[in-house]
Amino acid sequence: MTIVEIFSVLYQFADVFAFLILSAAGLAIVFGMMGVINMAHGEFIMCGAYVTVALVHGGMPLPIAQLLGAVTAGIVGVIVEVLVVRRFYKRPLDSLLATWGLSLIVTQGMLILVGSSVRGIGTPPGSFMVGEYTFSVYRLILFAGAVGALALIYFVFMRTRFGTLARATMQNANMAQALGVRVGRVYALSFGLGAGLAGLCGALYAPTMTLIPTMGSTFIVESFVTVVVGGANVLLGTAPAGILLAAIRTTLNAWQGQIIGQIGMLVAVIIIIRLLPEGLSGFLTRRQR
Amino acid sequence: MFKLVNGPQTLGNGPGFWMSFLVVLAIAIGYPFFADSYDVGNFAYFLIWVFMAMGLCLMWGYGGMLTFGQTLFFGISGYGYGVLAINFEGGTMTLAALVLALALAALAALILGYFMIWGGVGGVFFGIVTLSATLVLAFFLGQTAGPEWTIGEARLNGFNGMKGMEPLNIPWFDDEQLYFEGTALYFLVIALIVVVYLALRMLVNSRFGNVIVAVREDPQRAELLGYDVRKYQLATFVIGSTLAGLSGALYTSWGQFIQPASIGLPAAAMPIVWVAFSGRGDLTATLVGSFLILYAFQTITVHSQQAALILMGAMLLATVMLAPQGFVIGFARLVGRLFGSMTGSAKDK
Amino acid sequence: MNLRRKLLALAGVFAASTVVGGTALAADPLKIGLLEDISGDLALLGKPKLNGSQLAVEEINKAGGIMGRKIELIHLDPQGDNARYQEFARRLLNKDKVDVLIGGITSASREAVRPIVNRTKTPYFYTNQYEGGVCDASMVSIGAVPEQQFSTMIPYMVETFGKKVYVIAADYNFGQISAEWNRKIVKDLGGTVVGEEFIPLGVSQFAQTIQNIQKAKPDWILTINVGAAQDSFFEQAAAAKLNLPMGSSIKVMLGFEHKRFAPPALNKMHAVANWFEEIDTPEANDFKKRWRAKFPNETYINDMGYNAYTAIYMYKTMVEQAKSTKLENLRKVIAAGKACIDAPEGKICVDPKSQHTSHRMRLISVDEKHNVKVLKDYGVIQPYWLGEIGCDLTKKNDKKQYTPTDLPKKG
Repeated sequence: MTIVEIFSVLYQFADVFAFLILSAAGLAIVFGMMGVINMAHGEFIMCGAYVTVALVHGGMPLPIAQLLGAVTAGIVGVIVEVLVVRRFYKRPLDSLLATWGLSLIVTQGMLILVGSSVRGIGTPPGSFMVGEYTFSVYRLILFAGAVGALALIYFVFMRTRFGTLARATMQNANMAQALGVRVGRVYALSFGLGAGLAGLCGALYAPTMTLIPTMGSTFIVESFVTVVVGGANVLLGTAPAGILLAAIRTTLNAWQGQIIGQIGMLVAVIIIIRLLPEGLSGFLTRRQR
Repeated sequence: MFKLVNGPQTLGNGPGFWMSFLVVLAIAIGYPFFADSYDVGNFAYFLIWVFMAMGLCLMWGYGGMLTFGQTLFFGISGYGYGVLAINFEGGTMTLAALVLALALAALAALILGYFMIWGGVGGVFFGIVTLSATLVLAFFLGQTAGPEWTIGEARLNGFNGMKGMEPLNIPWFDDEQLYFEGTALYFLVIALIVVVYLALRMLVNSRFGNVIVAVREDPQRAELLGYDVRKYQLATFVIGSTLAGLSGALYTSWGQFIQPASIGLPAAAMPIVWVAFSGRGDLTATLVGSFLILYAFQTITVHSQQAALILMGAMLLATVMLAPQGFVIGFARLVGRLFGSMTGSAKDK
Repeated sequence: MNLRRKLLALAGVFAASTVVGGTALAADPLKIGLLEDISGDLALLGKPKLNGSQLAVEEINKAGGIMGRKIELIHLDPQGDNARYQEFARRLLNKDKVDVLIGGITSASREAVRPIVNRTKTPYFYTNQYEGGVCDASMVSIGAVPEQQFSTMIPYMVETFGKKVYVIAADYNFGQISAEWNRKIVKDLGGTVVGEEFIPLGVSQFAQTIQNIQKAKPDWILTINVGAAQDSFFEQAAAAKLNLPMGSSIKVMLGFEHKRFAPPALNKMHAVANWFEEIDTPEANDFKKRWRAKFPNETYINDMGYNAYTAIYMYKTMVEQAKSTKLENLRKVIAAGKACIDAPEGKICVDPKSQHTSHRMRLISVDEKHNVKVLKDYGVIQPYWLGEIGCDLTKKNDKKQYTPTDLPKKG
């Protein structure tokens, strides 16, 4: 394999990895850590994308617009948590129905309010050549964003006081509350963080995609599948799950085309879960013992 | 055996309940005689989906297994019926097509169930594996548009869907065939619903039912008590999935059409929405609630155009916030509180 | 004497009642059942269709209706769900008892509805451009078909840009059948298909595809990708500076990508259709003015909306020529070659053998600022393919959809 070919393989892998991780990061916190089956995950992605685009059309530079898009999604997440999701921690399967209802309301509401599509913003220019191929620089920024999201999750949950309180609350809310932790606030902020990461995914992908109210549905399957393959320990599992699934998908895409890539990845998910019934993090923590 | 129709696992066991049941059944049987033929056909159409909902209620509500696979088996039986009906060239052989299509779904459920349950896949992983399997079939069938994708005489035809199969029909008087369409289909579906409903009630109130509920509550304890948990889970999965297959074959017969979009997302999430809305803990609740939600959604869509999806979302959200046990169970409790002992020995879930 | 007077009075009452009854009958509205998605993923395409139908109905009713009867437009939104298409088709046909059923966007929705229509005697108008091949006496197809779109566009692209083409197609019937047409036409022109990629619906990431294209070094790309997710290809290809000429039978005209994506994503796109909003003729401009008077916020008057509008005028002409709304009488009008209207694109007629519509086809190109220019006017092209392969609805009703590799059996 020539240098060009090695580079292009790595580039393709980074591209798929970025998509999987950015889709999954927010859901990893909300579903992986808090156990909420958030069927409205795609709508937080859409929120980040739409806010970003609206701000850019209003004249704001792209990076700031994207940051604000993510933050807006996070704030909306906090509101949703306080109003709706809070009631479902003891009955996670009901969160499915509640968030599905929310998803219907939001997508149709956006359709009525803003129209069936929004005018796009171009991808920031910048391309480079390697051999006979040209690549867009922005795709590398997406990869950086994915790595950044993982780093952010790790940092917040492992290195801050909030993170420690959050992990304690997820493990045993009653105990944490008895020890004086403001459990309600922890939940709201964690859900907000998850929603914000979903918003970040939307904000980052907005310049590269069609903007319709149902755009979140493009990310849903990949995000759920990545989170579940990762297993219960989100900090330990999401990254390896992203790497493994991206590797499988990239190889199949290059070898046989996108349909085999898509079907093959799903078949791989089935096999992986069958072999490792507790996901990758379950497998990895067992090996540590 | 028929005593098992009443029991601890089902709501509604007293004479009051069964009287209302018979009244509703009588109205249902009499309905075609005073209603518009369109409405009769429409109700038959709704009832076709109810089998899938009851199957999910069995697996999820009673067995504790959340599966996204109902539309997978819906599709397997639907396409199975289509392929077989076309190749048998219709006529009375459509009955054989129906039975074989159900057997196909049961076999597929046996294989997938064995693969998952014996592998220790449970909880949310069970849902993701069934969802992945469902999506694999949907994507695969979606790209079978080419002429090479033909089974015998039946062309799968990819995303545009398979057509050309005859509706279910049997020999009838005067050398004619009775086609199960319109009113005939309505009566057939009512009969099947009654049979399936009573059979499921007997199943869940029997020893089998008690065991699967015990497994749902605490699998380890059930195992320690000597039950092979896996066998019971597999049996539940096969029965529940085959009921989804029944919905699929009947749907294909009704519309003379089956397509991959009936299998993938968002179709795969719909049975879960119906059962969660109705109250997954009880068969009667699921039966009544699924029919009501299908009817409500269609009515809202006909009359509210663009606002329809918003109203539907609001309906789901309100149900979950106000009636956490499910709309029907919540309503039944309300009625029960207002009217005392109509619901007999209803148990708290 | 008394008896005669009574009889005369009775006759008078009879005469009066037929006059009153007659006008009441004449005022009986003509019902058009419309199935268009205005929510969900397809709302982008479906809303202009509803608008077009409403505009046509309003204009016709203002001018007195069809044979003195006003049109009542009954619209139901199937929300992009083909099961709903089936339910609502049954409702419109059996409960509302519409005189004609119009609608459907995807081919799958049309195929779901056809078995239901075939059990009634109601005509069905399918108003979208599609992959062609439906030979069904209950159906009238208003949209353009491959022999009208590909047989014009592909030779232009090969002559102008070169013989090597790379195909990006949505991986389902429409994409695969269109790719078949492309292979045939390119081969006849002495060209080569240097690569073909079929993308599953819903996929939105094209890095691998872009790399494959660069490796294959084509002269131009045939873009028949479908759906909002797959449209992301244009933005991503532009970001990677792919910069190749593109040809399509569905872009610009349906989803008005040149209005939705920031320039220069659609640069060098070429398309052939019977309608673009950028067509500049007196009839087209007059039509556009009337549309925008009623719908001032319309982002783009797309081909689907235009076809929805002309379909109702075509139906009006057929009913007036047949002096009846019965399908068998309408079919006689078609068979006589009299189902013609002067549409904003030009004069179009329904072909007797296939019940598809002839169209005035035009080629456009998009520049880097997303301005659209009409490059060529091909005149009126007949939908000849179905007749050529053996579909003749004046003689028999096949009720089937044929493709280049699934032809009618001889004999």
